[in-house]
This record gives sequence, C-alpha cells and structure tokens, in this order.
Amino acid sequence: MIRTRNLKRLVIASMGVGSLVGALVAPAQAADPGVTATTIKLGISSPTTGSAGRVYGKLPGAMKAYFDYINANGGVNGRKITLVHRDDKYLPTLAATQTTNLILKDQVFALVGALGTATHSKAYTAAALAAKNVPDLFVNTGYSGFANKTKYPTTFTILPSYAMEAKVMAKYIKDNLAGQPFALFAQADEFGKDGIAGFTAAKTPPANTQLYPTSSVTSDVAKTYLTAISATPLKLVILFGTTDVTATVLKAAEDLNLVGKLTFMAGSVGGDANTLLALGVKPTTIDGLVAASFFPDAKDTTDAYVSQFMEINTKYNPGVTFDNVVLQGMNSAMLTVQALRAAGKDLTRAGLISAIESKGATFASAGLVPLNFSSTSRIGYNGYWFGKLNAKGELKPATGTTPVVYTTDSGAGDVVKSDYKRLPLPAKGIPTNS
Amino acid sequence: MQSRFDSARKRFIAFVLLGWILLLISDRVGELRNYQGAFVAMYSLAIACLILLTGYSGQLSLGQGALMAVGGYSAALTATKLSWHPVVALIMAVLVAGLFGLIIGFAVARLSGPYLSGTTLALAIALPSLANTFPSLGAEEGIIFDVGKAPTRFGEAFSQYKWFFWISALAALISIWLIANLLASKFGRNWKAIRDNQTAAALSGLNPGRLKVTAFAISSAFSGLAGALLVMLISAVSPSAFPLSLSFLILTGAVVTGVYNLRGVVFGALVLVVIPEIADAVVTSLGGSERLTSTLPGFLVSLLLILAVLFTPNGPGHLIHFRKKNTKK
Repeated sequence: MIRTRNLKRLVIASMGVGSLVGALVAPAQAADPGVTATTIKLGISSPTTGSAGRVYGKLPGAMKAYFDYINANGGVNGRKITLVHRDDKYLPTLAATQTTNLILKDQVFALVGALGTATHSKAYTAAALAAKNVPDLFVNTGYSGFANKTKYPTTFTILPSYAMEAKVMAKYIKDNLAGQPFALFAQADEFGKDGIAGFTAAKTPPANTQLYPTSSVTSDVAKTYLTAISATPLKLVILFGTTDVTATVLKAAEDLNLVGKLTFMAGSVGGDANTLLALGVKPTTIDGLVAASFFPDAKDTTDAYVSQFMEINTKYNPGVTFDNVVLQGMNSAMLTVQALRAAGKDLTRAGLISAIESKGATFASAGLVPLNFSSTSRIGYNGYWFGKLNAKGELKPATGTTPVVYTTDSGAGDVVKSDYKRLPLPAKGIPTNS
Repeated sequence: MQSRFDSARKRFIAFVLLGWILLLISDRVGELRNYQGAFVAMYSLAIACLILLTGYSGQLSLGQGALMAVGGYSAALTATKLSWHPVVALIMAVLVAGLFGLIIGFAVARLSGPYLSGTTLALAIALPSLANTFPSLGAEEGIIFDVGKAPTRFGEAFSQYKWFFWISALAALISIWLIANLLASKFGRNWKAIRDNQTAAALSGLNPGRLKVTAFAISSAFSGLAGALLVMLISAVSPSAFPLSLSFLILTGAVVTGVYNLRGVVFGALVLVVIPEIADAVVTSLGGSERLTSTLPGFLVSLLLILAVLFTPNGPGHLIHFRKKNTKK
C-alpha cells in the first residue's frame, strides 16, 4: 500500500517537474546568428598544434591580422570582424566537434578558411552546415568533391582542385621533362585519389604509385619507399601530400644520398620552401626542386600584394615570419572582406553565398591564376604555374622570367596556357567593391 | 518475490517518466543543449558499462575506449559499406562488441588487479590505431557514419541535434534500464560475491571465471553501443575518436558517480560534458591562450579524479545513501 502511494507520488512529481521545465525553458530561436549592427563573427577550424600545426599554424593568425587591419580602417559596412579559431590538430573527428562548436556554441555567421579534405568533409556533415545554410568560404583544399553543389551547397574552395594540379603537372612533364615516367607518393585519401584521377585524365598515369595514410610517414617509412624507388629505373618522384611529408621524404633522401640522383616535384600543398627549410631540409636539397603555385613567390617584395600583406603582417601579426601560409591566410581574408561587401549592408547567409556566386570571379586577389566562382563553379583558382626553388627558398619560373600560367578543369578538358592579368591591388589593400 | 516485482515495476515506470521528461526538455532547449544532452546520454551509458564491469564484477578496466571503438567501427562499417539501416548498424555495434568482449573476456578472466588494468590499457592504446594498418578501415580519414535526418513527420523545425539527442537518450535509457535490471538480479548478486571474495564465492558453488567473462561481454556490448552513439555524434569514425584520454574520462565519470551503484551516472556524465565548458569560461575570463584551452580540461579531469578519490571514494550517490542510513539510526 505504502509502495503504491510512493509510486503515485513519483508519477505526480515527475509530471510536475516535466511540465515546469517545459514552461520555464524558452523555445530555441532560428535566425542568422553572428551578425549585429556593429559586428560580424566568423569562425575557422584548422590545426595550430600537432605535425600539421607546425606547417599551417600561421593561417588563422594571418587572417586575424588582416581583419584587424580592416577593422582599424572602418570595418565592413561599419561592422568589425571577429574571427573565432578552434584547433582541430588536423584530426577529422576533432574537426567535426570543433566546427560544431563554432556553429552551436560560438554562433558564428560563416566559416572561413577551414583546412583539409578529410577533416572538413566530416566537419561539414557533423555541423549540419548544409541544413543551416552556413556559408563555408575559401576552404583550403583542392578536393574536387567539394565542388558538388548538391552535397556541399554552401562551400567555396580556394585551391585549384588536385585533379587540375595533376593535369597541369602532366603537361609540365610532357613539355619540359620529355614526358619521362614518374613515381607518385600520395596521401591515401580524397587528396591522393583526386591526383591519380587527374593524371589518368591527362593520359599519363604514374609508373609507380604509393599511397600512404595521413600522419603515417615517418623517416623510416620514407627511407623504405625511396630505397625501393631507387632500385627502379624511375628518376622522377612526385610528392602529392602536405609539406611536413615533403620535408620527411627530402630529409630521408639526404640521409640515403639520393639528392641529385632522383628529381623531386612537389604539389602546391607540399612545396612551401620556408616551411621545408624550417623543418630542417638543407637549402642545397631544395635548390632545383620543381614546385607548383598559383601565387606569386612569398619572398617577392616587388609584388604589390606581397609587399602590402608583409606590411600588415609586420604591424598586426608581430614576430611571425611572412611565408606562403601567411600569404594564403591574408589573401583569403581579403576575399572574405570583398564577399561581405558584395553581400551588402543587409547581411544574410543566403545573401553572402549568392554574392560570391555572382561576383566572386571579379574579386581582387593575389593569385596569378583566375578565380572561377559562379553559380555553377565552387572552385576558386583553376590553374598553376611551375617554378624551381633556389637555395634561398625563392620560387623562380622554371622557364623564362615570368610565370607561365596553365589553366584547366577537374574533368577531361585540355590544359591551356592562360594570358590572365590579375586585378591591381585595391588602394592600401582595402577593398572598396560593392 | 512480490517486493522484487514491485521494485522492477517502479524502475520501469521511473525510466519511462525520465524519458518523458527528457522528451519535453529536448523540445524546449536549443540545438547546443540537445547536442550536449546527446553526449551526456552517451557518456551515461559508457559509465554504466564501466560500473557493471568494475564496480560489480570487480574487474578494473582502463580500456573502455577500445570496446567503444569496436562498436563505433562496427556501426560505421555496417551503415557505410553494407548500406544497412542505421538502427541495424547500432544493433551490430552491440553484437560485434559483445562478441569481442566475450573473446577478450576469456583471455583476461584469469587476470586481476594491475595485470588486468595493464592489459585493458594496452587494448585502449593499440586497438584504435589498428585502423591505420588496414586501408578498409579508413585510417585517420575515417569512415562516415550518417544516421540521416529525422523523419519528415516530425516537422521542418526538428533539428539534426534533437534527432541525435532522441536516438542517444532512447538507446541509453533502454540499455541502462536493462543493466539496472541485470544488476538487481541474480547476476548482480553473484558478481558482487566474486568481487568481494572470489574464494568464498567459488566455495558457494559460483563459477568466478564464467561470471567474469559474462560481465566483460555484457559491458563490452553496451560500451560498443556507446561507441556507436559517439561516432554518430561526430559523423565519422577514426582512431582519433577513441584516444586513451577517453578511457580515463569514462573512468573519472565512474569514480565521480561512485563505482558501486548506478544512481549517479547522469551526474557523472554531466560533469564530463561540463568540464570543457568550465575550462572555456576560465580561459576566456583569464584571457589565456588557446593552448591553455586545450590542456585545461585534461588537468581538470585529473584534479577531479584525485578529489573524488580523496573525499568521496564511493561517489556522491553513496554519500547520500550513507547519510540516510545514519539519520535513520
């Protein structure tokens, strides 16, 4: 009897608590968060610690520095930009939770400059970016899958696709290296697979392909690989991975005395000279390394964009050496400012996406290659120029004195020489577009 | 007999009511709270599994993360490679992790104390990184586990995170209810008997080896489900989803809960979800660096573990129980 009474009390108490909670807690509201009359809050998830952090750690700081510069000069339509950064250590699962935190906890208006293919593809799903229509701007990946508007309706990537890069590399090998057969050492994910697809589309498949899981290339792994390659007639090795892997492979080549016996060619993601030198690769090793780029050389102080960004870096990012990563960060930040301006004073997520689709191809940028944003294209740059690094880490045109730019698509289209002339730098590097 | 029936009925009604309250709450809070709530539900289940294994059967495990990884990979592979329904994927997580626990259980049933904890610790370190060796397991890029959107009949306003919360909370409620019933049954008493004095239990006709293996298999099966829920919440499975720190996090949750009863599992899980929030708030108010934000939660977990062992070794739930007993005297 007593137990029955206790049971009744439990039922009544629980119903009471439930109803009370229901009455007290206000329903959630749905609107475009992160924008007020005076502020715009943006978010980025990228590695600042771990092995990838050593290479790409400067990215969010460079972006912040450029936004601080714009804020000091009046902001965007009277709004100051704040950038919230969360470290994902280049781990897909951490990127998923960090990006979700940026959306749910930090309530950012848009994401900008996320880094990595495996990381960002997971983050995109976990943070429900499509459902929330969160603009996902200038993602630092060349994975052509992000161009799929149905799957990634809010994403705009900045790097040329890896398939484009492979096709342009194939063209370079054909034109400048007598089409010699080559070995491909590539990351075993969408990055590497995209590259293989590009070489196949260019009808120059690698003679030897070795795929490796991310973060798995140790000195021993690299030495085993190079020893095996040196036992074959192949003399050209293409490194289709991140800069830390390029450094590990080049240092292994130094130890095995294979520098000079093998010719190395690095993709744009893995050929940052300053980082290679900082990671301990000898200047004599990188001297002559063929590398792809869509930017001017980060050491070229005669370039208007580079010198302006260097000036901003000195003032707003003190103590940080200017390199390709800083250039990339500042360039993406400048594109973001132009996109926000193009979206107008009445800023909405849908408005921002549509502004990039309609006006993105006309934004001023440091790139020597055209931007391709449109209602049907979500990939930023669409080509490369090839250069050779010297011992100082400067990237000089492989042939002639000015970079020869090649453009193409991610499919079966031809690789063509481009006569693109980029827009001049906006006065003092402050965009005034609308 | 009547009393046991009453208590089982009471437990059933309590779980149904708790579910009903959670349903109401999920409807009234924002997406962030729903997402965090889904994590609380997942941690509650993982902690309950550890309590079953360590608190009841006396087997100290430092490798719950490995058991969760087995479930996580099973669910993701079932849903992605076999294209089976996510519910089937969750059930597969339970079955495969249970089978894995049974096999490992046979191996570790002979071990106890530091030998057992050392073995489970090795599992936690080695098992998730095995995925890096087999390309079909997706290495660090991982395998997607997408449970899909909520059914359209729930309406457009029904968010992804509320859907996650419903799945997590329902799975955790049913599983913890089953575990609670199991602990209140003959199994629970027998496990306590072998935990307190294995020799005496054996002399009373119990088979300690078999009981230990059963406990390991059941704990592993439900840990696998918790792992699958975790993978659902982060949309993909990869070794980095199951770091060694996850095993210690769950152990901390269990110690804070009190390893000898299930009463405070939600409290323990809440603590685990709240710790990063506290770390965030502390760093923001002190103006610390991002590096501090990433290391402070680990420090707080360790601190909490030490404080809990020092002041409430049997957990706050046990403390309340103890006070009640004293008041009655």
